[in-house]
Amino acid sequence: MSASNDSSDLEALFDSIATDYQPVAPTPPAPAPVATPAKSVDGDNDDLQALFDSVAAESAVPVAKGVLAAAAQAQGENWSQQEVVFNRIGHMARALHDTLGQLGYDKLIEKTVSALPDAKDRLAYVANLTEQAACRVLNATDIAGPLVDDMAARSKTLGASWDKVFANQMTPEQFKQLAVETRQFLNQQMPEKTQGTHAQLTEIMMAQDFQDLTGQVIKKIVALAQDLESGLMGLLIEVLPDAKRTEEVTSLMNGPVVNAEGRTDVVVNQEQVDDLLDSLGF
Amino acid sequence: MAADPKTRFLVVDDFSTMRRIVRNLLKELGFTNVDEAEDGAIALQKLQGGGFEFVVTDWNMPNMDGLTLLQTIRATPNLKHLPVLMITAEAKKENIIAAAQAGASGYIVKPFTAGTLSEKLNKIFEKYGQA
Repeated sequence: MSASNDSSDLEALFDSIATDYQPVAPTPPAPAPVATPAKSVDGDNDDLQALFDSVAAESAVPVAKGVLAAAAQAQGENWSQQEVVFNRIGHMARALHDTLGQLGYDKLIEKTVSALPDAKDRLAYVANLTEQAACRVLNATDIAGPLVDDMAARSKTLGASWDKVFANQMTPEQFKQLAVETRQFLNQQMPEKTQGTHAQLTEIMMAQDFQDLTGQVIKKIVALAQDLESGLMGLLIEVLPDAKRTEEVTSLMNGPVVNAEGRTDVVVNQEQVDDLLDSLGF
Repeated sequence: MAADPKTRFLVVDDFSTMRRIVRNLLKELGFTNVDEAEDGAIALQKLQGGGFEFVVTDWNMPNMDGLTLLQTIRATPNLKHLPVLMITAEAKKENIIAAAQAGASGYIVKPFTAGTLSEKLNKIFEKYGQA
């Protein structure tokens, strides 16, 4: 589905909601039904609520609360409360749409929305390539490991035999045998195993070719994210009350810290982890 | 518990690559008795089956995350004695504190080295040996 299809669908939805409710006369707001949707979820909702409220207020849709309250009072059932929520969301969407249009952000967001599925595919591609590379490297080390171990073991055995020669603990027959074995090891086994190891080193090197491809893809996504960020930041600054601007999200599952500069709430290496745990007595 | 090479490890991570790396590093350190689980829920099932002596777990995983796994292990009578080493990309101080408070035996931040893993394992074995 193209982006233009999406927006005409949305347009139609907005229009239908708007026409449904515009003719009704405003009545004074009742507290109960308006409060219900906000209570159902945790703290985040307050922020959203405030954002929605401010958007709604700015775009002059004062009708909404009164209408919704009246509707809810009339029915007073669960379904009507749900309907209140849906209606409210509809009005918010309408208000947001209008605001976006007035501020000129609608085009930007349309562009971004159409670019997001593409970005998703690109990121999936990056995940895929890096996983393949990791597997290739791990396979190569699995193959090269035994080759190197074998060379080490064989060298050690031969070395021990030569120590015996130098300690005069060998018969001429044993010495002859050792000389033959050593020659064979140096001329055949050693070259075979070093070549085998070298082939795996080359494989490991070639497995890094993903970096070129993922680098290009990631740069494009970074550019998209920057556009999206600056657009959304502009929008937020326009519509968000000052007090809500500085609150940050707290969570225990954030993944790797990509930029620790200037942050005091994160550690950047294992020593800092150990120091922190030590200082806490763990 | 001494550093017995037969110690049975369970490596828990949702990425097969990381499980393979940890398994290889453990092998380098002489521990070959290693099983894997791809999230906390599967890990818990395997642990309930018995026989494991050491858990190495990631934090951020689907179904059940590493902290919940740790908390569940510590709250389960037949599992609570198990050493649990966390290897995770989560590097916020509150993460480290939360893990320590939940009873983690060690905490390693990714990316990590073979040396770090070896050091932490030895430390844990020492501590459990004394206990």
